[in-house]
Amino acid sequence: MNRVLRAAAVATTLLSSIPLAASAENVRIPVLVPITGILALEGTSQRNGAVMALDEKPSGIEAGYDVTDTAASPETAVNALERALSQPNVVAVAASIFGPQMLAMMPIAAERKVPLITISGTAKITEMGNAYVFRFFPTDAVVKVAQARYVVEELKKTRVALVYQTTAYGQSGQAHLTDNFKRLGAQIVFEEGLAPTVKDMAPVLAKLKAANPDVIVLQLHSGPTALFVKQAAGLNLPIVAGSAMHQPSTAALLEPAELKGVCAESGSSPISGGSPTMEKFTAAYRAKFNAEPDAFAVAQYDGTRMVLDAIGKGARNAAQVRDVLATGSYEGLAMTYKSDGTGNMAHDAVIVCYDGSSRVPKIVKRYAAR
Amino acid sequence: MDALTLVQLLLNATALGAAYALVALGFVLVINATGAVNFAHGDLVMAGGFLSVALAGALPLPGIVLLPVVAALMALLGLALSAAAYLPLRNRPPVSVFISTIAVGVMLQNGANAIFGAAPRGGPPLAGDGALSLGGLALDRQSAAVIVAAAILLAATHLLLTHTQLGKRMRATAQDPEMACALGVRTGRMVALTFALAAALAGTAGLLLSNRYFVTPAEGGSLMLKAYIAVVIGGWGRIGGAVIGAFLIALFESVIAAFLSQPVAEAALYAVLLIVLFVRPGGILGEVEGRRA
Amino acid sequence: MSAASAPPERILRAAHAPWLAGAALLALYAAFMGDIYGLRLLTQAGIYALLVIGYQFVFGHAGAFSLAQGAFFGLGAYVTGILGAKLGWGFMTTFPLSILLPAAFALLVAAPVLRLETHYFALATLGLAQVALIGAVNWESLTGGANGLVGVPRVVLFGARIAPGWPLLLFVWGLVALGGVLAWRLTRGMKGLAYRTVRERPLAAASVGLDGGTLRATAFVLSAAYGGAAGALHANSLGVVSPEAFDFSIMVACLTMAVVGGRGRIAGAILGAVLLVHLPEWLRGLEQYYLIAYGAALLLVVILAPDGLAGLVDRTWRRARGTTETLPFLPSSAVVAFTGGAALHVECLTKSFGGVTALDSVELRVAPGEIVGLIGPNGSGKSTLANLITGLYRPDQGHIRLDNAPFEPLRPHEIARLGVARTFQTAELIGGASLIDNVAVAYAATADANLPHARGRALNALAQAGLSDRAWEEAAAQPAGVRRLAEVARAVARKPRFLVLDEPSAGLTDDERATLARLLRGLAAGGVAVLVIDHNLPFLSGLAGRLVCLEAGRVIAAGTPDAVLAHPDVRRAYLGAAEDTP
Repeated sequence: MNRVLRAAAVATTLLSSIPLAASAENVRIPVLVPITGILALEGTSQRNGAVMALDEKPSGIEAGYDVTDTAASPETAVNALERALSQPNVVAVAASIFGPQMLAMMPIAAERKVPLITISGTAKITEMGNAYVFRFFPTDAVVKVAQARYVVEELKKTRVALVYQTTAYGQSGQAHLTDNFKRLGAQIVFEEGLAPTVKDMAPVLAKLKAANPDVIVLQLHSGPTALFVKQAAGLNLPIVAGSAMHQPSTAALLEPAELKGVCAESGSSPISGGSPTMEKFTAAYRAKFNAEPDAFAVAQYDGTRMVLDAIGKGARNAAQVRDVLATGSYEGLAMTYKSDGTGNMAHDAVIVCYDGSSRVPKIVKRYAAR
Repeated sequence: MDALTLVQLLLNATALGAAYALVALGFVLVINATGAVNFAHGDLVMAGGFLSVALAGALPLPGIVLLPVVAALMALLGLALSAAAYLPLRNRPPVSVFISTIAVGVMLQNGANAIFGAAPRGGPPLAGDGALSLGGLALDRQSAAVIVAAAILLAATHLLLTHTQLGKRMRATAQDPEMACALGVRTGRMVALTFALAAALAGTAGLLLSNRYFVTPAEGGSLMLKAYIAVVIGGWGRIGGAVIGAFLIALFESVIAAFLSQPVAEAALYAVLLIVLFVRPGGILGEVEGRRA
Repeated sequence: MSAASAPPERILRAAHAPWLAGAALLALYAAFMGDIYGLRLLTQAGIYALLVIGYQFVFGHAGAFSLAQGAFFGLGAYVTGILGAKLGWGFMTTFPLSILLPAAFALLVAAPVLRLETHYFALATLGLAQVALIGAVNWESLTGGANGLVGVPRVVLFGARIAPGWPLLLFVWGLVALGGVLAWRLTRGMKGLAYRTVRERPLAAASVGLDGGTLRATAFVLSAAYGGAAGALHANSLGVVSPEAFDFSIMVACLTMAVVGGRGRIAGAILGAVLLVHLPEWLRGLEQYYLIAYGAALLLVVILAPDGLAGLVDRTWRRARGTTETLPFLPSSAVVAFTGGAALHVECLTKSFGGVTALDSVELRVAPGEIVGLIGPNGSGKSTLANLITGLYRPDQGHIRLDNAPFEPLRPHEIARLGVARTFQTAELIGGASLIDNVAVAYAATADANLPHARGRALNALAQAGLSDRAWEEAAAQPAGVRRLAEVARAVARKPRFLVLDEPSAGLTDDERATLARLLRGLAAGGVAVLVIDHNLPFLSGLAGRLVCLEAGRVIAAGTPDAVLAHPDVRRAYLGAAEDTP
């Protein structure tokens, strides 16, 4: 009954979209991401991706936005969301990569019926039955499968040393990796969580070496990934890292030679090129932000573009945008996005590897969840 | 774990501890001079790291050449810090200085974030890359250079404080400001110079750490905590104690963590801290008499 | 005369006016300006206000630089989070437990932690907080790890859901009001004076029988309870709990709010919380520069408002009204009457410091109604003896007792409660407080401590010391002689059975010295045993019935003043060494 009504409402609006087209300029898509604190690096990519999409005004769709820092606590994120929602005509919110912030914002979004466009990897956010969260970065349930399958199926390694960060990102990835390696028949011979402030990797490397693994799997943030790769150079073990490794800012910390034999999972790798649209995006991103784009920027760009696309097709309010996100599909830069019914929009993952000659990785394997 | 690995870990601990010692030394000098904790001290280390990154980007010179430049610029920042956050509050209780330095720390952290971005950055190596091989030990050149540079700076600071007129005046100001003032020492100037020296030490530590361990805008807080712990373990107000405390922290991070897991080693450090406090409430070396703020 | 030290009742009542106006303004702001976002910020400010009101107990009143307040906040949040999200318990059960558990934890660690001083205490509390943070991040099965726990129930009271927005705002600020009133009752008047003395003059506090340790532990436990309550509300209002609740930034925010608002002030806690929650939000428009502006604003506030915003409001208000000081009417009780004393017995007392013998087998007896003068050159052990008698030092050997009550297992405040009073070589007065309050604290450890009543009695004691004109003046502004006499007045006010004075006549004018002598003779006439340590031999010989002379920690002569002063050893040791002293 409810669905029928909603469909009727969408239909009515679509029919009357021509006289209402002018009001599309009044819509707002606030950007609420962490641009300070521990997740500032990933949050800045998110911001840039969203801002790029919004500034491009595809097919003349102009949405008002402002960027609000969610810093490092759920409380700040909730404040930012309430502040954003105190303005009229908010049709969607580009929302934080930080899992606990998403979990705190989601009930409010559901109550106010505004979709959240995020790239947070925390599995739980799409397991809560919340109809207003849309994730444009492949979830850990996708990328961790890719990471584990690449290790076992392509590299043929079975003795895994797993080093993860004791943060939301690291612990969530660690849980999925453990399951996947077990399922694939690989053995985790060594495992340790590291605080993000750890400087010296030698102690964990000493223990790791003693466990005699044949591959190292990482789930660390950008700086620690680079530290680890640098200090593990002497071990001559293949490293398959988490998405932080694919970020150009991580590779920038290392010499190309140090990167030889290092692979990473990701949703995409814009600097690796692959398609004319991706190359165009990368060039435009560099010109606009004087920085290298990463998969987080692409995913948030794609997600924001999908919202703008929905507006272009006549969606005029948050409920309509939500319905388009929940039911439609969108051909983005990185992949084609479509909800699996829980808000997961991205189902493809890539594995990129560095060949030791440059800091630009090559996409060596693509994985599709279905 | 074989003996060679252990020696390697100890070497790492020495290099890391040497850099931490510089951090703790600057921290304790300000404590002695003002009786207050400088909560921005970790952010000064971070600022020194980013300053090295910026200088190395502009002038492709090895870190050893940039080091005096970083120290000089950081000393200016230290003077600015004392002018903004200490001198206006010098007749107030120490808690005012806690808050004013917290405020400056917030500004430094977010200033670095706005200027350099959030990405971790690597600073210049002190004197080229590569490893020195010493009987099967791979002591990389950077670690060796860090140990040597830190040792020289620690010794130089010691000489400055004990063998020069300026250092004696700074120490007199720290020990008894009223007496020093009566003897004609310009105590305000001495405190400002102490801030400058502390910031220069923090900045050089930032340079030394930034090559091997990178630098990010948000790391100041954890460095300040390390300095604080080092100073308390070593004995409040004791310069030598702070250095010992710094090496103890590095020992936990680089050696103990190889026997326990990293989170357990970190918890163990705090456990040791609490035990030291309960068994020897004056720190390992005991407290400098009458210097408790 | 400083107005800060002159709080007659009428000014006190008038001083509430700006605060009442401020509260009304805040309510108006909420009523007219508050959209959901505004209400959410005010609710959050209320939660932090509760946290900071609690912190004022330990930081503001007990003067202990605790860095555990953030941990108590986190503990409260996690108790609510774990019991609510995992076990499905409701607010009515989780809220009291979130208050009790942090308080119980504080009680558990209070004894070892509070023994430590200043920075050691700070770092010990910080260490505990860091261990709690590491636990929250790594004990994933219990805490959900770094991702935290989702689905913390909202506030439900007797079946009624307190929804976010107005209902939650009113509920939280209702708790702030309740917590504020409770805190005010626990720290106002005599209790506040007791905390101030413990904080600023711990030696004086012990000398009037105040148990600093218990007071500090009480403050620590209370602050934990408030912190737990704030943490619980934080978890309930967000619906999630994550390790950010334990983050050091919460502690830094709490400390900043306390100092910026006004240390020790309830109004300051509220002002600080409201300002610091809103300040970054006001600056949001500056995007990535907003925290730089926040830091600059914070720095300016600290520099421009020395006593915090609460102090600034008070000062501005007082300046606007002008200082119309009227001395309050104080009930005049009868002249302090002494109902007998007790004999002090010092037997074979020995004490050495690091191998240097300060006192060696000292024997001394002061009978009720007797004034004994203790003389001796500098470093002969006179002050050491006073400190041993009052429990500040522990003897190596020997015994001290008052009548038949032994001192040995007792701590300084317990010895004071036996009826021992003292003055110090340098007067231990609270510089920023009035003389009358410095004397009134003498009654802080009595069962019916009540400030107006105590002030009435303190005024009598001051009158006996000839200081009634200066009663409301600030202690720090007084000449040395007046400060000394005020301290004597404080000791006398306690109606001691035994009184020891450490160099009471130094720095006194002839008139003041005469007043002092008259006062001490009166005490002795009332039966009090009096021991006077002094260098002024003419003053002592006129006052004391007996003199005892110490040299290098040994009693070298004792007897009538004439006999002792004529003793060859005394002449050699004492007068020979101090010919130039009067």
